[in-house]
Amino acid sequence: MADELLSAPMTIEYPFTRTTGPVIGAFLTGLREGVVLGIKRADGSVVCPPTEYDPETGDALTEMVELTDTGHVMSWTWSGEVREHQPFDRPYALALIQIDGADTAMLHGVDVDGPEAMSTGMRVKARWRSEREGHIRDIACFEPEVTP
Amino acid sequence: MGETTKRNCAVIGVGQTKYQSTRETSIAGLVREAALAALADADMTFADIDAVVIGKAPDFFEGVMMPELYLAEALGAVGKPMLRVHTAGSVGGSTALVATSLIQSGVHERVLTLGFEKQSESNATWALSLPQPFSVSVNAGAGGYFSPIIRQYMESSGAPDLIGCMVAFKDRQHALKNPHAHVHQHDLTFEAVVDAPMLWDPIRYSETCPSSDGACAMVLGSEAVGDAASKPVAWVHGTSMRSEANNFGGRDEVSPQASRDCADDVFAQAGITDRRAEIDAVEMYVPFSWYEPMWLESLGFAPKGEGWKMVEEGATTHGQGDLPVNCSGGVLSSNPIGASGMIRFAEAALQVRGMAGEHQVEGARKAFGHAYGGGAQFFAMWIVGADKPS
Repeated sequence: MADELLSAPMTIEYPFTRTTGPVIGAFLTGLREGVVLGIKRADGSVVCPPTEYDPETGDALTEMVELTDTGHVMSWTWSGEVREHQPFDRPYALALIQIDGADTAMLHGVDVDGPEAMSTGMRVKARWRSEREGHIRDIACFEPEVTP
Repeated sequence: MGETTKRNCAVIGVGQTKYQSTRETSIAGLVREAALAALADADMTFADIDAVVIGKAPDFFEGVMMPELYLAEALGAVGKPMLRVHTAGSVGGSTALVATSLIQSGVHERVLTLGFEKQSESNATWALSLPQPFSVSVNAGAGGYFSPIIRQYMESSGAPDLIGCMVAFKDRQHALKNPHAHVHQHDLTFEAVVDAPMLWDPIRYSETCPSSDGACAMVLGSEAVGDAASKPVAWVHGTSMRSEANNFGGRDEVSPQASRDCADDVFAQAGITDRRAEIDAVEMYVPFSWYEPMWLESLGFAPKGEGWKMVEEGATTHGQGDLPVNCSGGVLSSNPIGASGMIRFAEAALQVRGMAGEHQVEGARKAFGHAYGGGAQFFAMWIVGADKPS
């Protein structure tokens, strides 16, 4: 009896489109224009990235608000090993970033030299790509905010 | 099986989107629309709902893995149980039945159940043809899978060649009276159905279902909720599901054992002995026209080999026959896959509530909802009535 296990390649390639709807679509369009949009909840707090429905009550949300491209790091982890499909060819921080004026955080990369340059609460600013297409990666990454 | 311990369950509200191809609405927006319509019909809000049971066809139809996980807010399910059911094309029916069991068991008083599909995000026919390791792939889509089974039925029953076209023409005529239906071909002629290109011999293009986006929702309630409802409700008289393997020696692919067993079970629960006489309206899952006569036989509405005669006589035509089938236009006129089974169940409920609008079967008291999925291997059926089960 052979001790060889049967194996076969199975590669699925399949095209999809995505209908983003009125809220996510507006957020992505904003990114293309270099603008970060959030959405206001009934209690006045702001969700960013915006959601179509209130995360707690389920109410439909419609009031988009323009935010800045700066914020602070709520929490972070160091990604020290470079792997395929990561945003950088060098180690970076994966961080929850609360945009100024928002009450929730978005996940993005922070480009710094090492974990010693990261700290919870640190100020960051978006580094935009020059060619933008309406995608979360239109923000290339965040980087420490330089205060004049 | 402890049938006597089951509590009564009623359909209190039904909500449907328009079935179409839409590039404006997100998946969340799509399910929201149907859910709000069902709640409005039930005179309820999300706050009244105890649990949400959702179903859709395989995830690679839209390319969103486990989409239910991001639909909790859109469906008002935050802080409540939310379950997903998955039985391929029959999922809309199975989902309704899982939701029903939550009422029948006494666990919940009010359950929102919903099925959806957004076929415009991809192309489900070819998603059904993904090659599998160690298997022959004919890359033929659903129609390619079912066409030999249909031919087997045609040959064994001796049905005339154009029975399938008659079904397709009838369902498209029915669809004209259903504002939710996707396909509205006002000028369609029988000749045009016959002259349509042959897609998967013997299935013409005109005999296949469309690719639709859409969602269908129902609010189910306990006996107390049903009694208190302001509009007529549909009472559940029987529910059944069956499964069998896709491939095995001796399998009857035209009338699978699981289909026959499921039908026997659900009719027995409802105390129905003369199926054709006692059912007033049928909503059955017919994605390819020939499945109407095939299921008429498998479900026991017609003797074996004679389902096609009911089609030919017009027995299944709304306003003409004694057993109108798919007055909504059926799957042949709207096919948001994950919702298609639930639409059958919901349309059956609308019929006995007297709320089916222009496609209402006058005086309908008992209706049959049916769904099948996979390689005709998963079955879900229910019987609903205007009166409470005795």
